[in-house]
Amino acid sequence: MILRLVIADGSQTPAVAESVEVADDGAISGWRSVSDGGVGWFAGHLPPGELAEVRALVGAIRAVPPPVPAPPESAEEVLELLATGPVSIAGIADGPGDWPSLAAASRRLLDRLTDFPRAAVAAHHPAPGVARLVHRGTDPVRVDLGDIAVGATSWRGYYELAGDWSGEVEGPGEVEAGPGWTYDIPIGVDGPGSVDGSGSVDGSGGVDGSGSGFESDVVVHLTIDFAILSGTTRVPVRASYTPAVG
Amino acid sequence: MSDLSEAPIPDQQATPDRKSPDVRTPDTAGPGMLPAAGNAALARMLQGAPGGTAALAELVQFGGNAQVARFAGLGDGSAAPPAPGPVAPPAPVNVTVGAHGEEVRDAQIKLSRVQASALPLTEDGRYGPLTASAVRTFQTSAGIAPPTGVLDPVTKTRLDAAFAALPPPARTVLSLGSTGADVGFAQQKLNALGAAPRLTVDAVFDARMLVAVVKYEIGALSRFPTGTVDAAMWADLDKKVKGGFVANEGAGATPVEQNTPSGTATSLAKQVAGTSLHPVTGVGGLTRGPAVEELQQKLNKAGAAPPLKVDGAFGPLTTAALQAFQTGRVPPLAGTGTADKATWDALDAVAPGSTTGAVERQWTEEVGGHVYGMTGANASRYSWEIQKTRMVVTAKITFVGLAPPAAWFGHVESVWNRYMGVETASGKSMPIDFRMVRGAGGDANTVTVSAGKGRANAGQWFAGDKDAANTIPHEFGHLIGLQDEYQLHPGDFVQATGHEPPVGDATGAAVAVTPATIAANLQAAMVARSSANARAASVGAGVKEGAFAQQVVEAYAALATVTVPAAAALPGPPPVPAKPAVPLTGNLLRDLDAALPDDNPRYDTIQVFSYSSGSIMGDPGREKDPHDHGAQPRHIAQFMTILGQALGGTWEAKRR
Ligand SMILES: [Zn+2]
Repeated sequence: MILRLVIADGSQTPAVAESVEVADDGAISGWRSVSDGGVGWFAGHLPPGELAEVRALVGAIRAVPPPVPAPPESAEEVLELLATGPVSIAGIADGPGDWPSLAAASRRLLDRLTDFPRAAVAAHHPAPGVARLVHRGTDPVRVDLGDIAVGATSWRGYYELAGDWSGEVEGPGEVEAGPGWTYDIPIGVDGPGSVDGSGSVDGSGGVDGSGSGFESDVVVHLTIDFAILSGTTRVPVRASYTPAVG
Repeated sequence: MSDLSEAPIPDQQATPDRKSPDVRTPDTAGPGMLPAAGNAALARMLQGAPGGTAALAELVQFGGNAQVARFAGLGDGSAAPPAPGPVAPPAPVNVTVGAHGEEVRDAQIKLSRVQASALPLTEDGRYGPLTASAVRTFQTSAGIAPPTGVLDPVTKTRLDAAFAALPPPARTVLSLGSTGADVGFAQQKLNALGAAPRLTVDAVFDARMLVAVVKYEIGALSRFPTGTVDAAMWADLDKKVKGGFVANEGAGATPVEQNTPSGTATSLAKQVAGTSLHPVTGVGGLTRGPAVEELQQKLNKAGAAPPLKVDGAFGPLTTAALQAFQTGRVPPLAGTGTADKATWDALDAVAPGSTTGAVERQWTEEVGGHVYGMTGANASRYSWEIQKTRMVVTAKITFVGLAPPAAWFGHVESVWNRYMGVETASGKSMPIDFRMVRGAGGDANTVTVSAGKGRANAGQWFAGDKDAANTIPHEFGHLIGLQDEYQLHPGDFVQATGHEPPVGDATGAAVAVTPATIAANLQAAMVARSSANARAASVGAGVKEGAFAQQVVEAYAALATVTVPAAAALPGPPPVPAKPAVPLTGNLLRDLDAALPDDNPRYDTIQVFSYSSGSIMGDPGREKDPHDHGAQPRHIAQFMTILGQALGGTWEAKRR
């Protein structure tokens, strides 16, 4: 192992509980629980150039940094290095210096991880009125779709709130998702059709859960909360879809 | 931009008119001297030694004695805060939809309590449709026709009368061994009146409370101690301290615990020892802006000759004046031409006030048993300017990543621009306007703006946060040095909010196990590193926020401590980082934080053993509190102090 970063935040639901590890041979692996690029297991190999950068940043570290309190509301961030053991880096912002550079690079690796899906599920918005779960990777993943919560927020201009919709869906329960698997959920934020009457409309922007026309100048962000099964453990996750706005 | 072009008001430096603390001396009247035996009994009790009824019986023989009174005078309730001074009644006018201010807030409080509103009104001082509807309902019930929804003088008089006619809370006589909500309320009030050490608001009348009651009886009631909170003592406590009961509010009779004010709120987070509130100014620090203007004003007050032009530009003349000030001290400071902490301290001593200035606040807080802070490069940075007709407070932010949505700037203003400073003697008022602006430099805060809608922290905000109307003003609060008001220890909660921890669930009636059992189960869960077990042992057993939960906190503190062995990282999912060995301390919140993984069950567990306010700096999503909502006067107290230093007088924050 070269480094391992774990980020955890139990103050939000589903909790953030994510990890990324880089091995000596450049293998990168980990787990994402609240993510745009999918939730679940990820694994791959970093190209030699990137691995060399990580090695250089880690190699510059000699000692544990002086403790810095994390800003209010911060998640727990623990970086493990062979040289130091576990170190809390939540208070270390990006900036000049060995530790800030390494901390920032480690956080970026958690995003980079989603380029290597193995057994993961991501959210998409393929058409107005539809939220879609899509399998990513090569391996199957067992998901619990018994109780799905969908949030959809629509934005006009540059992040001007245009509408907000949330609904709960009783899905098919436990299913195995493999390559090619998708699951569509009707949403009320930007298209016809509502979700079995359980959707609620609480936006102020005139969005109508029972069907207002799709507005072409609106960007929709989605969150889909469900659970991934790992053995006997049921892990709540949130797949999100947040295309650029404006 | 016209705000900036307004010239600062001319120097009106005056010595703040500080009143000496209003401290009553204990009543020393009483018969004879206390015999030695009485001294011993009292001393044991005052030291918190287990006493109970036997000690009380021993002590009461000597009650009313002057020496007892003097003894009890140490830190007892005799330093009761004075009642607020009389406020001149406003001229009778019609108050209606669109009106705002303290008068509206006062009406909202009363409308909820006389159950004229449908639900408890949010006491925000804004006269909206819900307030108007409540006024109409009140008018109908009071036979005022037609019901207009306008708070006219007649309606106001009737509302005041109806509120005044509400029956006082029914109180239970309390003595050693009593339990229940009234015990908690009495503990709150004894704390508010200065009980030292503070009583845990645990709704159990134990030996510690007995000591406080006896001290109060002797010191404040000047009576022979009975060890009971009887009708007379309740009347005194209720007269001196508001709140401390549950009232039915709104037509649906929603039970709402009425906050018990206690002490002076200090909502600013704890400044890191040895740091200055002034940014380093001059060579190597800030060379432009409000910090430099403040420096120039203060150097002028300190006698700079010729006087400096207050232009906010640190040039050769300012450098020379600063060096002259530094070397002119006795003993001299190094004439560096840079205003560091020592120089600012010296300047503040000579010239406490200025009409503009900059703050760089290094601070820490403890939330959920964990220390957070904004220190070093992350310090809170803000500036203020007292203009002709208002005060403007600015937090400048360097936004990194995405551009900040325009709505955010409005969210800050709609939550924070609700107050004015009012000088108590003259009535002069000064609106306080808060602004978030984009900018760069050594006086700017850095915030990363990310896509999506994660949970914001003080340094990272999310563009896709649909709750930005609350989130951004909360994080802005941190940028002006305010601490969080959620998941706090009771003492920190009192200090931050200025009211006592709520009694909440006083008895744990729905909980089938004892506090000691819950405490032991929590410790076992920590040893096992199982947050799920911790939640099952507490929330799962029916524990809710309040006095009963504090009994668990106390039972936990009494357990023999153990060390939780180090734990290797778990790959998960969910992944858990490696944890060092944790020597448990008996401080429940800190131990839960240190021993358990940062997940939902841990957060839920910590929540019930801590206190959270419903204000913008608290957790309005979880704590629905119509009384303590949004930005509160306590949150802007620092600017009242600044107004007093600059303009003289005593300033209070009032709704506008
Ligand atoms: Zn906060």
